[in-house]
Amino acid sequence: MKELVRLDNLWKVYPIGVDGVIALADINMSIHQGEYVAIMGPSGSGKSTMLNILGCLDRPTSGQYWLGGENAAVMSDSELSEVRNLRIGFVFQSFNLIPQLSLVENIEVPLFYQGVPRHHRHPRSRKLAQMVGLGDRLSHKPTELSGGQRQRVAVARALANDPLILLADEPTGNLDSRTSAEIMVLFDQLNRRGRTIILVTHEEDVAAHAHRVIRLRDGRIASDEFTDGRALA
Amino acid sequence: MKAIYKAGDIVLLGLHGVMVHKVRSALTVLGILFGVWSVIAMLAINAGASYESQMALRELGSNNIIINSVKPPTEQKASEGRSGHHGALIYGLTDNDVRRLRANIPGLQDSVVVHRAAKTATANDRRINVAVISTEPNYPRVVQTDITAGRFISSYDMLRYQPHAVLTQGLADKLFPLADPLGKTVALDGDPFIVIGIVRQLPATLAGTSQSAILIPISTDRAQFGEFNIEFSQGSITSEKVEVSQLILQMANDDGVLEGAAIARNLLRRFRESQDYDVTVPLELIEQKRKQMQLWNYMFVSIASVSLLVGGIGIMNIMLASVTERTREIGIRRALGAKRRDIVTQFLVESVTLTAIGGTLGIAIGLLVPWVVQKMLGFLTIVTPSTLFLPFIMAVVVGLVSGLYPATRAAKLDPIVALRHE
Ligand SMILES: Nc1ncnc2c1ncn2[C@@H]1O[C@H](COP(=O)(O)OP(=O)(O)O)[C@@H](O)[C@H]1O
Ligand SMILES: [Mg+2]
Repeated sequence: MKELVRLDNLWKVYPIGVDGVIALADINMSIHQGEYVAIMGPSGSGKSTMLNILGCLDRPTSGQYWLGGENAAVMSDSELSEVRNLRIGFVFQSFNLIPQLSLVENIEVPLFYQGVPRHHRHPRSRKLAQMVGLGDRLSHKPTELSGGQRQRVAVARALANDPLILLADEPTGNLDSRTSAEIMVLFDQLNRRGRTIILVTHEEDVAAHAHRVIRLRDGRIASDEFTDGRALA
Repeated sequence: MKAIYKAGDIVLLGLHGVMVHKVRSALTVLGILFGVWSVIAMLAINAGASYESQMALRELGSNNIIINSVKPPTEQKASEGRSGHHGALIYGLTDNDVRRLRANIPGLQDSVVVHRAAKTATANDRRINVAVISTEPNYPRVVQTDITAGRFISSYDMLRYQPHAVLTQGLADKLFPLADPLGKTVALDGDPFIVIGIVRQLPATLAGTSQSAILIPISTDRAQFGEFNIEFSQGSITSEKVEVSQLILQMANDDGVLEGAAIARNLLRRFRESQDYDVTVPLELIEQKRKQMQLWNYMFVSIASVSLLVGGIGIMNIMLASVTERTREIGIRRALGAKRRDIVTQFLVESVTLTAIGGTLGIAIGLLVPWVVQKMLGFLTIVTPSTLFLPFIMAVVVGLVSGLYPATRAAKLDPIVALRHE
């Protein structure tokens, strides 16, 4: 399968204190098309930092981040915005929906910034809403939805631009176990249809859905293995 | 194509922001609205007032130089005023002065002499205090008044000291409300004059205080009433001798007026021992008025700038609050692909829309107020396109400038920091 993501000697150091805080230290890894990866590790181990860099929301201090053959580590703010807009789908722990927009309008925000005209955006976001099982709540505002429903809207929004990779930072962190399971079923479905997924979690049963688990400790990769026992290529 | 759709959508998004925060937007709009309408109204009223005063001055004739005899200041009277018999006060222009002025001013086209006196006119058993204006045949041409009936004083009247009189329309209406005044007799301090014509109202400043004026040949005046104006007031008798009350010099064109006035002033300074005359140059006054209006306009625009500045600070304040309040939304939009300039555009559209709405409403009210002032108070007001658009453009610029800082601050937010907000 095609390699989508590669990190080469990647460091992230926050300039705090005399020495700075090392959030990621010399990370090397590679993720291929169709993979379903869980990033695990104790709190403060650098999971979110890594996912933010993968999602082009943040830039590494040094090293390379190859995304679909392009080095995102050297991109300008405007280019990073474009990559986020066209190639990344991001699901946050706290949903991050825009409160004054309806469900449909929230889903189509990435298309909005692509310049897709309204009459093309609407059918697409409606279809996505149906796919996540919210086809009957199109004009609802986020406050009128439950937590699980909000996260499903967020997943639909992350898919609006048909992204290269779907990233999720503790997507079930704010949900009870039953709705968590529903969201994970949705991720499983997406991966079965070929979507590349990287998710951060500290729950073993969530990680169990993935096919590969990368464990971080103090900003370094402590282990990286396939759940079916396969060795890393 | 996509860029156009996106730009349009972002503008709509900014407009949406205005719609969603109705009270906030309304208050912001009010600030700008007051600034804009008050400037428009002030400029319109000022332009109207200035136009009216310029018109009044133009009536005096922009190519005229008007020299009036004036009583010298009181403290000079004893020492410098020449006293005749019975303690009569002698001052003002003399026929000699007039002759020398007429001979020495280049570019002089015409000139007319006036002697003015207050007398009682009697006709039809009516007595009216009038201003008697003794003058020469060319008077109507120089002061640009029309003869509405009969004829004016002729050279023949002058030569023969004819007791002929021309009434102003106002006086004619008072003395002869029912009959045709032409050919009728009016007694001036008892001496009979025959009405030969009627003129339209004289310019107020030329006729003196009274609008009831009667015009007679200056030769007749001198032959009949003599050199002294004797006035009885509160038991005392004052006697004055003024040969010429007023001399109007008409220049061939406007260009010669200032030079002619300078020469006239110079000559008069040499002839006259005391300051018993006054030179009025309407053209200079018109120029002064124009400068005055400009000064007022600068002042109004400054006041307006201050009020728009205050409005702008209000907008900046509100937009900054809005940016803080919507930090998270900005983070979400950035995370989903909004570029910095998309965010800047969104917030700028919001602030410019607010000021543009304020500006438009301000223009509407700014048009209404001068109209109401004109209807209710009777002031002339003049609204020109520039008085409308200057404040409008100023308002929009204020919107741009005061929106720019909050907008760039919003755009500079680091997406991760913005997402973590609150
Ligand atoms: N903006 C920041 N400034 C300074 N230090 C940070 C910042 N973000 C994260 N860190 C530090 O980097 C390390 C990794 O953080 P993070 O990636 O959030 O961990 P995790 O998501 O695994 O809990 C932590 O020590 C954290 O304190
Ligand atoms: Mg984290």
